[in-house]
Amino acid sequence: MPKSLINLLLLAVLACQLVLLTKAESGFYNQHPAWLLLLIACSAAASCLLTRLTLLCQHLPSKQAVIKPLIPGLFAFMLLLFWQSIVVGYAISPVLLPAPSAIFNALINNLPILWADFKQTYLKAVLAGYFIGCLSGFVVAQWAVKSAFLRRGLVPLGNFMSAIPIVGIAPIMVMWFGFDWQSKAAVIVVMTFFPMFINSLTGLQSCDAIHKDLMHTYAASKTQTFVKSQLPQALPFIFNALKLNATLALIGAIVAEFFGTPIVGMGFRISTEVGRMNMDMVWATIVVAAIAGSLSYGALALLEKSLLFWHPSFRGNK
Amino acid sequence: MKKTILSLASGAALLAASFSSSAAEKLTLQLKWVTQAQFAGYYVALDKGYYKDLGIDLTIKPGGPDIAPAQVLAGGGADIVVDWLPSALATREKGLPLVNIGQIYGKSGMMLTCLKDSGIATPADFAGKTLGVWFFGNEYPFLSWMSKLGYSTTGGTDGVTVLKQGFNVDPIFQGQADCVSTMTYNEYGQVLDGGLTPEELVLFKYEEEGVATLEDGLYVLEDNLKDPKKLDAYAKFLKATIKGWEWAAANPEDAGLIVLEYDDTGAQTEAHQIRMAKEVAKLLSNSDKGVGYLEPAAFERTVSILLDSDSTPVITKQPEGAYTHIVFDAAAKL
Repeated sequence: MPKSLINLLLLAVLACQLVLLTKAESGFYNQHPAWLLLLIACSAAASCLLTRLTLLCQHLPSKQAVIKPLIPGLFAFMLLLFWQSIVVGYAISPVLLPAPSAIFNALINNLPILWADFKQTYLKAVLAGYFIGCLSGFVVAQWAVKSAFLRRGLVPLGNFMSAIPIVGIAPIMVMWFGFDWQSKAAVIVVMTFFPMFINSLTGLQSCDAIHKDLMHTYAASKTQTFVKSQLPQALPFIFNALKLNATLALIGAIVAEFFGTPIVGMGFRISTEVGRMNMDMVWATIVVAAIAGSLSYGALALLEKSLLFWHPSFRGNK
Repeated sequence: MKKTILSLASGAALLAASFSSSAAEKLTLQLKWVTQAQFAGYYVALDKGYYKDLGIDLTIKPGGPDIAPAQVLAGGGADIVVDWLPSALATREKGLPLVNIGQIYGKSGMMLTCLKDSGIATPADFAGKTLGVWFFGNEYPFLSWMSKLGYSTTGGTDGVTVLKQGFNVDPIFQGQADCVSTMTYNEYGQVLDGGLTPEELVLFKYEEEGVATLEDGLYVLEDNLKDPKKLDAYAKFLKATIKGWEWAAANPEDAGLIVLEYDDTGAQTEAHQIRMAKEVAKLLSNSDKGVGYLEPAAFERTVSILLDSDSTPVITKQPEGAYTHIVFDAAAKL
């Protein structure tokens, strides 16, 4: 059989499942369990297609840019298809698990609300808290490199602080800084300061003595030594902390919003809509949070790549 | 030999008989909130063996800030839940068919507690003020009240600024809110304990403002009512529950102490629980049929309050079959 025909057949199996989902009434697996066979055939077809795409990717290096994103895309599509099929097929209560289509509808129909939440949580609390937390962590690490007093005092405290549960400090911050985004930013500062401090300190201390000597022979000023030798060598550590803190900040803001907010924000939305049984809205907010988290992580990874082109871990990938 | 077989057989028969008679119906009750005297009746009935007497083996699951009773019911984690009518109706409209089988509270314990200093004397003074409200399904009565008063809840000088209040009264002490939500039996006591005197406060009881909605009631899934065996178990449960509540209302001090015994967290105090037991006794359903009977008029009043709320529709249409008296009637016949 020609290859294109097989591919067509595999796609047809997937299409059949899609038609079943759109045409059949909910609860079709309860009535006709035989339809499950089609779902199994679907996953086999998807796995077959994945293998074919991977092979194609190796054979046609010129088309890699087009084919490569298709592979995880197909996998994600299959996951969603499974989810949708099981939820609709067994008529699972939307209070327990909404179907992806319902989540998508909630996302599309509530864009203004989700945007307002995103603005409140991400653009105000997360960005402010992340910026202040990371910057102050870096600045203090800068001092600590020179001062044994700060270093000996703060490093053990860092371990202690990272063990503090966020649910413990969030209500305190709400009490101190009020209900608006400022208290969430404060929680994020507490959460992100020490990862940044410890990582920057390790990075700044990791500077080779031989580099220092070299800079000395060049009669470089302190600032020059810092900018041209110490800072670049610390960058891999700093980016580690930046990437770690990007996720911490989002989690911190959302959880802190459980402890009192004005009536806007992603954490508020999640905690309130759970109580109202609008699970599709809860999931839509989770989708927004996941996208925001992935994008900020991706942006940091790109920035890292452009700044650390000289580092062995990036040089090797070329 | 014959004798041994005979005695063995009779022993086996006896064993079987004892099993069948002791096979109590297992039921799980999910509370709306943590173990406290708000639920004194259930704990009293459990403690005094009222459930066991009727052949019900009841497990009581405490709730908490992150537990939505209806969700536990849908997931099969409970057979009966304690919920408020507004959130039950909203859940019903979302496609989870909750049915009220008994109404424990006839009056609402909710109120807005305001500082006199903030210049609030009547609901007309709310404009431009900051009010603390509980969410998680408890905001519906507040939202319909504001809608009735004509306030926008998005802030500004003509509207009110709403804070999502944690389940405590801190915002009124920290000056972050002019008013906070309180229950007569719980948080109001915390406000007083915190050092504010009744003279410094202005209270707006939902009951007196004409926006009271029905609170603690018992809910089950509609399909289960079609099963005669389950219906029978619910009736027995309700009968024992009513007996428990009557006892708790008559003996609030002892009821408070019983609740304290069941509080595994150890977070509750004796004085607080006794005060709560006394306060909730005032809220119990006062219809001529006794505790547990849902007055259709009260139900209709709640529905009309919720339907009137135009800004945020809690429910969009008249609910059908959201309550039933068959369990109450069956319990009365037991």
